[in-house]
Amino acid sequence: MCSTAALGRATRFLKLTMTVTSDQPRRILLRLQNVDKTFQMGEVKVEALRDVSLEVFAGEFLVMVGPSGSGKTTILNLVGGLDSVTSGRVWFEDREITAFSAAELTRYRRDTVGFVFQFYNLVPNLTALENVMVSTELSREPMDVIEALRLVDMNDRKDHFPSQLSGGEQQRVAIARAMAKNPTLLLCDEPTGALDFATGKRVLRILVDLKQQLGRTVILITHNAAIAQVADRVVRLRSGQIVELHDNPQPLPPEDVVW
Amino acid sequence: MKVLDRKLLREARGHLGMLLAVGGIIVVGVTCLVTMVSAYINLADAKQLYYSQCRMADFSVELRKAPLAELKPLEEMPEVAKLRPRIQHAVTVDLPGMIEPIIGQVYSLPDRRRPVINDIVIREGSYFTARRDNEVIVNEKFAEAHRLRPGQWIRMLLNNQQQELFIVGTAISSEFVYLIGPGAIVPDDRRFGVFYMKRTYAEEVFDFEGSANQVLGRLSAAAGGDPREVLRRAEEMLAPYGVFTTTPLEDQLSNKFLTQEIQGLETFAVVTPCIFLAVAALVLNVLLARLAQQQRIVVGTLKALGYGDLQIFWHFLKFGLIVGVAGGLLGCGLGWWLARLLTDLYSRFYQFPELPSRPYWGVFAIGMLVSTGCAALGSFRGSRAVLRLHPAEAMRPSPPRRGGAILIERVGWLWRSLGSGWRMVLRNATRSRLRTAACVFAAAMGACVLINAFMMQLSIDELIDFQFHRIMRSDVDLTFNDERGRDALDEAVRLPGVDRAEPTLNVACTFINGWRRKKGAVTGLIRDAVLTVPRDAAGRRLRIPARGLVMSRQLADALGVGRGSLVGFEPVKGQKRLRYVPVVEISDSYLGTAVYADIKYLSRLVYEEYAVSGVQLAVQRDPASRGALYRALKNLPAVQTVAARADMIENLETVLETQSIFILLLVLFAGIVFFGSILNASLVSLAERQREVATLRVLGYGPWRVGGLLFRESMITTILGTLLGMPLGYLLMLATAEAYASDLFRMPIVAAPELWILTMVTAIIFGLITHLFVQRSINKMDWLDALKIQE
Repeated sequence: MCSTAALGRATRFLKLTMTVTSDQPRRILLRLQNVDKTFQMGEVKVEALRDVSLEVFAGEFLVMVGPSGSGKTTILNLVGGLDSVTSGRVWFEDREITAFSAAELTRYRRDTVGFVFQFYNLVPNLTALENVMVSTELSREPMDVIEALRLVDMNDRKDHFPSQLSGGEQQRVAIARAMAKNPTLLLCDEPTGALDFATGKRVLRILVDLKQQLGRTVILITHNAAIAQVADRVVRLRSGQIVELHDNPQPLPPEDVVW
Repeated sequence: MKVLDRKLLREARGHLGMLLAVGGIIVVGVTCLVTMVSAYINLADAKQLYYSQCRMADFSVELRKAPLAELKPLEEMPEVAKLRPRIQHAVTVDLPGMIEPIIGQVYSLPDRRRPVINDIVIREGSYFTARRDNEVIVNEKFAEAHRLRPGQWIRMLLNNQQQELFIVGTAISSEFVYLIGPGAIVPDDRRFGVFYMKRTYAEEVFDFEGSANQVLGRLSAAAGGDPREVLRRAEEMLAPYGVFTTTPLEDQLSNKFLTQEIQGLETFAVVTPCIFLAVAALVLNVLLARLAQQQRIVVGTLKALGYGDLQIFWHFLKFGLIVGVAGGLLGCGLGWWLARLLTDLYSRFYQFPELPSRPYWGVFAIGMLVSTGCAALGSFRGSRAVLRLHPAEAMRPSPPRRGGAILIERVGWLWRSLGSGWRMVLRNATRSRLRTAACVFAAAMGACVLINAFMMQLSIDELIDFQFHRIMRSDVDLTFNDERGRDALDEAVRLPGVDRAEPTLNVACTFINGWRRKKGAVTGLIRDAVLTVPRDAAGRRLRIPARGLVMSRQLADALGVGRGSLVGFEPVKGQKRLRYVPVVEISDSYLGTAVYADIKYLSRLVYEEYAVSGVQLAVQRDPASRGALYRALKNLPAVQTVAARADMIENLETVLETQSIFILLLVLFAGIVFFGSILNASLVSLAERQREVATLRVLGYGPWRVGGLLFRESMITTILGTLLGMPLGYLLMLATAEAYASDLFRMPIVAAPELWILTMVTAIIFGLITHLFVQRSINKMDWLDALKIQE
């Protein structure tokens, strides 16, 4: 696969020699402790998360599954520093995100986190290349933009505007944008949700490669239970609470997943 | 270039129409600012330079005739730095080929050049030479108007004798920056001139050896800039020599007009740009609020990517700054150009040695600062709400707008009678409060400017109508160089082409009421005069009483008298004793501070026998009769001045012509305000309601029907704003008129129905024109695509 070859090149480019083996003790990257989150929607209060505690390990591929309204996106937003908790605490390594100032949160998002959104959220007025540059211009050690686009196999369409790209292509640009700034943590909100089956699997492959070959920690949320089969660990959510958490010792390659 | 800047430029291109509309308002604001401040500096600097160059007098005293030696005590006052006695006299000029009478004023100057108070600046030729006695220096504009050059001869009637004078040069002087003839309010270069002659020659022809009838003076530091004490003493000391008037510099005619113009510029340089820039900031606020709202998700995403609030804020700010900087630059350029135009126009009315229009970098800097400041303020307020959001919140669709009944829905019968279209329109107008408020404010300011423009036009019309058709109705006014008897009237009636002649008697005097004193004059008229008709504010004819005065409101207010009061009357000629006479009526007029009395009554008071100092004529209008009359007048030595009403009207109309450029410009500026605000509000509203519009289209609404909804919305704000702005504009004009009102001239305030109708109709036309652009966007809108948009 073209993207795999490109990933190889990217690895050399980044001089990353990190490997992940299962017998090493697992390092905790993220920790949520008794987190509550309540939204005020007009005159109604919505409890999005209730007393959620969770640990995420460095270099793992974590999938959170649950129906819509179960609190998946809320967790993602909290660990990504996009939103604040109502109560409880969240740590990234030994730093408490929930105690961060606005400026610290911005720096955290800039240096540590990469986001991939269900609806891509590309800037409509910028080309594919420029959309990636939006993130590399911020980063201290960014990937080469062309390299990042090559990784997701979007190099030939780099001068196209979002409106000229298909959903899958837009999502690949969005992934390139997320990883081009070399984040430790990649947060993916229903990245395949708006895509057809084949395209969805292609996107999954890129994400799995990012974890396996670049050692990135990936948290992916989905309402599609089948996708959980590619994960190292799976969290099931319902009504703002974790109802199940289990390891998946034999993750399936994305190509073998069927939904 | 940074990627975000590219995004910015593309968005700017995408919103070009709206940005141009807002930019237009900023351009207008900065243009006004730069034009007025530059013109102000040009005029103020030129005035200061010129006054010091010519040693402008701080005061003057006009008297009948005083020996020079008697001026000594005045000159020795510690408050007086220097005095200059001179001879001044009215003359008539006879130019070949000019049928109309030309009048002028002669002033004496030292035979040999030395620096004097109210000096002249030679423009062509030279100062007097030793070759002849009868040399004359002519004021430049008069010479230009009649193509008079040094080396030519000119004939004048000096003290009842025809004299030939040799022109040695042309000149200007700081005391005649704004040169107007007696009774006029605008310059007339063809019919009024100033002539300087040697003192010795003037002494001889006017019979003024060793004496003077005017004293000019400069104050010393001891006076602290206040000439009142000096003038009071001068009046006492020189009383035996018949003091007519004492005039401090602030009341000097030319200085008064010039200073008022400069002060007017100063005030308007602040007020006018403020109006436009406030509108621009508000409109930009609306536009940026929409833009930021539209980019909620982009803002959220950028934040998620790690962009800080400041970076994103700076990004949006730049959007406003593009408009501010571009508008500022264009406004500075345009303002400089207009300042040159305006200064050029001033140089047609105000004569300076030079009146250059320079680029003032400080003014440009202020222009840029103000335009970028107002743009930044608008952008800041507009984008603030979205920037405050948490990134996660920004990426969620914005919560639905608040629903609920609006105020008007409580009036059940009214609401029920409205169709769904009107209901939508009213709800939208009520709910988008900021936008509606911005539009109403803009329309109010636009209407304010329109009222200003139309009132300028209407008030000159009113001035001409009231003053020259209703009060002063004579065709030609003659003044004699001395009081004469009844025979002067009989002589006038026999002049060729004269239909009617009425005598007048002008008596200069001091009016006194307690501590209040005002110099002025009483004009005696026959009781059933039809050539001068005093009127009240409502235009009603006031009959001249057999006893007592008809006094102009301006003077009555200044003296603190009203109908039925007694006022002290002390003539400067004839029997000079003080008498108390009743004020019978109060009259209104826009020019001067006339006081009328029955000529018989006035004659009795002052001379004891019937006296005439002038005649007013109604004459046949055909040019042949007019020519014959003028020819006859030239040979009447007793006639000192001749004023033709037609010439005065013509002069005023010339001013109106130059004013029409500014009226047009004001209407254009108002148009830009209406256009900019309406276009923005409508396009923002359209962008916000794309789905709604698309849905309506699906339901079978045509594009014009949809446009009709937006049109009704913009018309509500336009009409409401105009209704609010009209009285505001009226009050502004009232305040302006008040500020400019002087003894010489008061601006008529017109509240005729056509003013309101014209303003409203113009506002609606601007609204209609703007809507055509909005309609074009609606017609071009891809509404099927809009249906797919997910908020």
